Amino acid sequence: MSLQEFWDYLVLGVMLGSLYAVIAIGYTLVYGVLQLINFAHSEVFMLGAYGSLIVLQLLDPGDNPSALASIGFVALAMAGSALFGGVTAYGLEKVAYRPLRRRGAPRLIFLITAIGASFFLYNLAGKLFGRDPMTLPEMYDNHDVFSVFGAGVNITQVLQFLTAVVMMVGLDLLVNRTKLGKGIRAVAQDAEVASLMGVDIDRVISRTFVIGGVLGGVAGFLFANLNQVSYTMGFIPGITAFAAAVVGGIGNIRGAMAGGVLIGVVETMTVPLLGDEWRSVSAMVVLILVLMFRPMGILGKQVGRAA
Amino acid sequence: MVVGALALTGCGDSGGGDGTVRIAFQGPLSGDNVALGENMQNGVKLAIDQANAKGDLGFELEYVASDDQGLPDKATAAAQKVIDDESVVAVVGPAFSGATNTASPLYAEAGLVTVSPSATNPTLTDPKNNFTSLLRGVPNDSQQGAGMATYYAKKLKAKKVYLIDDKTDYGAGLAGVAEKGLKAAGIEVLRKSVPQKTPDYSATAKDVVNSKSDALIYAGYYQDAAPFAKKLKEAGYKGAAISGDGTNDVKFVELAGDASENWFLTCPCTDATVEAGTKKFSADYQKAFNRAPGTYSAESYDITNMIIEQLRAAKGGVEREPLRDALAKASYKGLTKTFSFDENGEFKGTDVYLYQVKGGKIAYQGNINQLAG
Repeated sequence: MSLQEFWDYLVLGVMLGSLYAVIAIGYTLVYGVLQLINFAHSEVFMLGAYGSLIVLQLLDPGDNPSALASIGFVALAMAGSALFGGVTAYGLEKVAYRPLRRRGAPRLIFLITAIGASFFLYNLAGKLFGRDPMTLPEMYDNHDVFSVFGAGVNITQVLQFLTAVVMMVGLDLLVNRTKLGKGIRAVAQDAEVASLMGVDIDRVISRTFVIGGVLGGVAGFLFANLNQVSYTMGFIPGITAFAAAVVGGIGNIRGAMAGGVLIGVVETMTVPLLGDEWRSVSAMVVLILVLMFRPMGILGKQVGRAA
Repeated sequence: MVVGALALTGCGDSGGGDGTVRIAFQGPLSGDNVALGENMQNGVKLAIDQANAKGDLGFELEYVASDDQGLPDKATAAAQKVIDDESVVAVVGPAFSGATNTASPLYAEAGLVTVSPSATNPTLTDPKNNFTSLLRGVPNDSQQGAGMATYYAKKLKAKKVYLIDDKTDYGAGLAGVAEKGLKAAGIEVLRKSVPQKTPDYSATAKDVVNSKSDALIYAGYYQDAAPFAKKLKEAGYKGAAISGDGTNDVKFVELAGDASENWFLTCPCTDATVEAGTKKFSADYQKAFNRAPGTYSAESYDITNMIIEQLRAAKGGVEREPLRDALAKASYKGLTKTFSFDENGEFKGTDVYLYQVKGGKIAYQGNINQLAG
């Protein structure tokens, strides 16, 4: 691999990784407050993609929209995906998880429910939207805008990367600076004590789901823009992002970001070095290697809670 | 022509207890490849409806759908469903090679004949498999792969070909044959496997460009070929690109948009809307389903009519196994081609046709070997 090729693939890897990072945050946030691996998050992501598709089909950008119109289409599509993602995640918590939490169901039941909800949602999407893959209508004329170390970067990639960064920075501020963020951190640390201190746990958990859902939904839009929309699109990116969340240290938001980018870069670098069929394998090898030396993930806390 | 028909008349009871005879279709009627399955299903339905409308059968013919999503692990259940319905006497399908591979042992055991309009993996008719109920109504991938290789070698004079399979039975089979043909012609081949549903084709496309290949073969289905074609265009790939019958569908053009322009597509199928013999079929199809026939629609129609011809001769009183034996020996001149099979159920005949995406349409070019010269 020449140096130029290295930069080419590195840029692609970081772009893809930024997407994985945004999805991974959804897993990690929910894990933080509920200690639940929300396997239905991949379906939140998928429904977000359909949200943007529906908005764009209603608006119908046509051929060659002007620059200003393009920005408008992107913004509205993104809003559509955020809405779909947020509502799906909200409903999921309300319908699937809250009743279990009320009854103090064992953790395994949550996990099975998550998998069941995932099956239900993607089959529902197949039924509602059809099982044919679809593409997002073109919102702008995609071309290279600048280059990083000689590697061309096009509008789709700029959009993807910028949105991911803005969302991650925003989330980081929200969690560390706001009252809701303080609530999320309190519940994550010790839910029982947090409720004794006057934190409304139900509300915090519900909002955490919505935040994760909005991020996941927008990631779905960005992903659809990169590839296409189908009712099964959530599965592979979902599993990969889950691996990223674990690599980074599940429950840790900055860890999810780091894990996402790491996995994205490793996957992409695998293509020229070993070939496409090793992509998913290499991501899982990274997961295993990291867990061998740091069972809590790169930025994770010590395993087990302080007594 | 109808050698086996005599054997059929001997059987007393008709297949179904209620006097109806059913023909089933097994293929992807949901899932990612639904467009390919629907094309075939409509061909089967049209043939059945026309036969019933004609009114000279003396029995009622019914259509049964069996959805396998094109997936090997769903195919056994889909096959079992058909087998359990005793009034089903013949199956058109299974559509996909992987599904055919897992379903065929069940059909063989049940003695229920399956005539596939589209399962093209060469190994399916290997006598070692014992797929005794399988008849292949289409030239296999050896022909398609060899056709691609010949076209690249003789017509486009390619120097270096980037060859991708999608790790399905179909893709790997097709790519294997193409690789052999290209190497025999002295062309450098870069063989890669890119699994179906790869989430991001950017890196693969970059790899194609960096390899400085002047031609590309994608052996897989349209729903992956489409995003790949888009990323190839973005990466600035300028060489030739060819794919097989799994991609030869208008859906490919719809999904990939401009990026599909100039892609070559092969198929052992003719274009029903262009060839003189199938124009009437094409018009009937358009009327019935409000769209133009797709890949393998006409072939499915032919195969269904071939089965109906046997049923008509037997006046509906047909058992599964005699029908299977009769079809295996039959020779039927359909609209698209003449259907006849060798002792392993392999299709006799080798014609492969070339198409190219032009101005957002899949344009029929002609017989690939004649075009390559």
